[in-house]
Amino acid sequence: MEFIYYFGDVFTPINFGLLLLGTIGGLILGATPGLSPTMAVALLIPFTFQLEAAQGLILLGAAYTSTVAGGAVSAILLKIPGAPANIATTLDGHTMALKGEGAKALQLSFLSSAVGGVFGVLLLIFLTPVLAKWALAFGPSHLFWLAILGVTVIGSLDSNSVVKGLLSGCIGLWLATIGFDDIMGAQRFIFHPSLGGGINIIAALIGLFAIPQVITMFAKGRKDDGAEAIQVQKHPIKGAITELLRNKRAMGIGTLTGSIIGLIPGVGGQIAGLVAYDQSKKFSPDRDKFGTGHPEGLIAAESANNAMVGPSLVPLLTLSIPGSPTAAVLLGGLLIHGIFPGTDLFDNHPDVAWTFINSMLIGQILMCIFGLYVAGMAAKVAQVPQSMMAAIVLGLAVFGSYSVQSSMGDVYVMASLGVMMYFLERFGFSAAPLVLGLILGPIAESNFIQGSMIASATDGMAPYFLTGTLNLFLIAVVIASILYSGYMELRSRRYTSKEEIME
Amino acid sequence: MSTLTLPRLQHIIGSGIVAAVGVSVCYISYTQQPSEAFLFPRLIASVFVVLALWTFVKACLGWTKVGNGISFTQFKNLAPGLAIALIYIFWAAKGLGFYTATTIAFFILLSLYDPAPHTALKSWGKRIITTACFMAVMYGLFALLLKVYTPREIFF
Amino acid sequence: MKKLLAGAAIALMGLTTTASADGHANYPERPMMMMVSYGAGGATDFQARIVTMTAGNEDALGMPIAILNKPGAGGRVGWNWLAGQAEADGYTLGAYNVPHFIAQSIKGGVEYSADSFEPIANWGADPAVLVVGKDSEFNTLEDVVTFVKANPGKLTTSGAGLFVGHHIAALQMEKAGDMKMAYIPTKGGGAAAMKAVIAGDVMAGINNLSDAYRAAAAGNVKILAVADLERNEFLPDVPTMKEAGLDVDNASVNFRGVMVPKGTPQGIIDKLAATVPMMFENSRVTGKMKAGGSPMHVMTRDEVLAMWAAREETLKELLAGL
Repeated sequence: MEFIYYFGDVFTPINFGLLLLGTIGGLILGATPGLSPTMAVALLIPFTFQLEAAQGLILLGAAYTSTVAGGAVSAILLKIPGAPANIATTLDGHTMALKGEGAKALQLSFLSSAVGGVFGVLLLIFLTPVLAKWALAFGPSHLFWLAILGVTVIGSLDSNSVVKGLLSGCIGLWLATIGFDDIMGAQRFIFHPSLGGGINIIAALIGLFAIPQVITMFAKGRKDDGAEAIQVQKHPIKGAITELLRNKRAMGIGTLTGSIIGLIPGVGGQIAGLVAYDQSKKFSPDRDKFGTGHPEGLIAAESANNAMVGPSLVPLLTLSIPGSPTAAVLLGGLLIHGIFPGTDLFDNHPDVAWTFINSMLIGQILMCIFGLYVAGMAAKVAQVPQSMMAAIVLGLAVFGSYSVQSSMGDVYVMASLGVMMYFLERFGFSAAPLVLGLILGPIAESNFIQGSMIASATDGMAPYFLTGTLNLFLIAVVIASILYSGYMELRSRRYTSKEEIME
Repeated sequence: MSTLTLPRLQHIIGSGIVAAVGVSVCYISYTQQPSEAFLFPRLIASVFVVLALWTFVKACLGWTKVGNGISFTQFKNLAPGLAIALIYIFWAAKGLGFYTATTIAFFILLSLYDPAPHTALKSWGKRIITTACFMAVMYGLFALLLKVYTPREIFF
Repeated sequence: MKKLLAGAAIALMGLTTTASADGHANYPERPMMMMVSYGAGGATDFQARIVTMTAGNEDALGMPIAILNKPGAGGRVGWNWLAGQAEADGYTLGAYNVPHFIAQSIKGGVEYSADSFEPIANWGADPAVLVVGKDSEFNTLEDVVTFVKANPGKLTTSGAGLFVGHHIAALQMEKAGDMKMAYIPTKGGGAAAMKAVIAGDVMAGINNLSDAYRAAAAGNVKILAVADLERNEFLPDVPTMKEAGLDVDNASVNFRGVMVPKGTPQGIIDKLAATVPMMFENSRVTGKMKAGGSPMHVMTRDEVLAMWAAREETLKELLAGL
């Protein structure tokens, strides 16, 4: 209960001002395509040089919280996910915006972000010691199985065809191997100098989601086909709250999956949203509506990716191990002030530690309030005429992908992938499984290689990868997931063929 | 066996290209050295090639649901926009500088696809204002706020 | 009108020529960027941000330096970019990590060597240390050596990749003790390698002194030995490997500094070489570095050139057998 003593510190004028600044700035940075939360936090580090330790961390913590939520804005309105965390958000969020429900989508996204986020920070406050052990329990073999679990999700992400979903996933897994192999340092599939650094995930995200959409708008030609006439429906916040309460299952699944997966160092943040989306789809009676602008999918994805924020800091704060790139940047923010995370932080600088954690709690709520305030205005973006929208998204895509690493190569990769994806989409492939493959590939590969090196030095491959409670549990979940997808595929096939006969 | 419609033909070509990529990826992975570094690509490529060939065969036999394909009108509509976008990205952005190139590309795309009449002076004024506003926002966001140093060859 | 145009043309020409004519007296005229070939938040990135924070001061360069991260494959991606694609105009700097980039260039498969870059100045020296988990049965370097000799190839030892300082230290240990360890390179830099030690995924690890110092302060690991010629001021009680009986020198010490791609005008190199070491000595910089547990070691351009040459020789010999 120690944290309550330090609540006052959050509300001193300077600290609260920084909290507001971090929150609003974070929302803007998060909504900018190409700026991942890691980059946004890294950009703010120089400002913290001048501040006291607690103040600097308030700024960084608030920015981290709200960039993750801010990413939903461009994901919903422009179909450009700002970071891997927002991929699942585009699936139902953007379709809602196309139906004129942009305001509702944004409101739901901020509300569920806040619910997930507050839960995540509360976990951080109360269960840190327990969670730290859990975060460390995942060794290379477990992370490998976890990535495989992600791969099994690939097939079911694409609602049209399991084979094409898996094929898209394979393309993604292959694209991920382009560039230098991270462990051996060998060059693989480098056809063009732009690929020397491999495919940057943020640039790829922008290309795969934004460019096909631009070309689709071009394909509609120069006419008023009613697309301009989208009425942005006003949506009362009260309505959004009722909607959220109606979808308790999605919110629960999202929040829990996000907090559990977010804890795992190196993996969590990127796939939490997608896994939560897939889980709530599997448990939902309306699973067919997912992907067509169904609030449940949006709520699951957004509550998961903000629930991950708190737990992702557990390994950093307790063990001084940054579990995610963003946590690594926050570590820098602490070190500059001579504070070492770990026991030192909580024993000798409790004011810093708790002020920081409390500010994240308040930050979640502020983020929600500001988000709701702008949701209605931001949703008007849907009223922008198609022609202008195409040009805006194209310009943002170019600037966004360039700014990731100040590299023209990333822009070329972005455009090539985007054009390719447009044609693939025409033939029934979809971007989400491809992106999931792109994310999971490196995780699966490096952990497999590392695990097999450890295994060959110790007790051999089979015992290393196939024994131990956690390994067995993960394998069981993988098998269950495959069986379930197969079962659903068969059932839906029988169902549709029956329907066809009836016709 | 269904008849050979345009979308079906496109689907065969599309999945054929994917299958060809799959085969070449598979070939490269199994021939390149060092083999330790290609262990994982081999695994992926093997699955990739099987799935891609399966899709291709299904497409040829017409056993599969076909995507929407691209109709002739759609292609005629998207071709100029795509061409400008590609010139913009692969040449102009670096050759002319980001802001110059974006201004030009944005204005051309807007003029091409904006349904407002090309004869009315008012709609041209609107287009110029829109372009200027967009560029101002981009400059403010990327150059001033984020301090990204983009290539600026001619003007800024 | 004509006059105006002609005037503008002359002014434009003037703009482009002054830069080279006056010996770069005005350099730098716009903000610069420094490429760091590791991710945001890594030790190199963290230190690079601190040592460049005063670049904008009038007594330093007068223009800020922005950090640009190009991570991947143990630094190869970034250095390849700096050697091949970056513009050698004096506005693109790079951070170097020795012995990493020299070892990688000797091993091959990259587009750079020590000759592709011109050093400016060195800011830090971070020795490699041997760490084990806090509950490990090993308490001294002798314990580890005894175990490895009895069980060749069984001691799993994590490090931040192949042909980086940690790997060099492991190779030197193997050579000095005539023994075989199982070096496990991790993806994700020193932090991931440290996590493997703390979580017990591996039996031991080689890591940066600065990171290990923090982990030891938090009570998560034991530091057994330092791969350097002298004990470190941060860890006065930890023996060097030599003291503990393994003949390992300082070839694996991670030197960090600033360099520019070859082809950068000599005038600019001289100007940077004169200013940058002073910038590193700024009291604000040294204060922040000390607070963050990062050992500093400022060296001038000439000293760095000598150090690079010496490293190249040692590493060629060490890596010859691989």
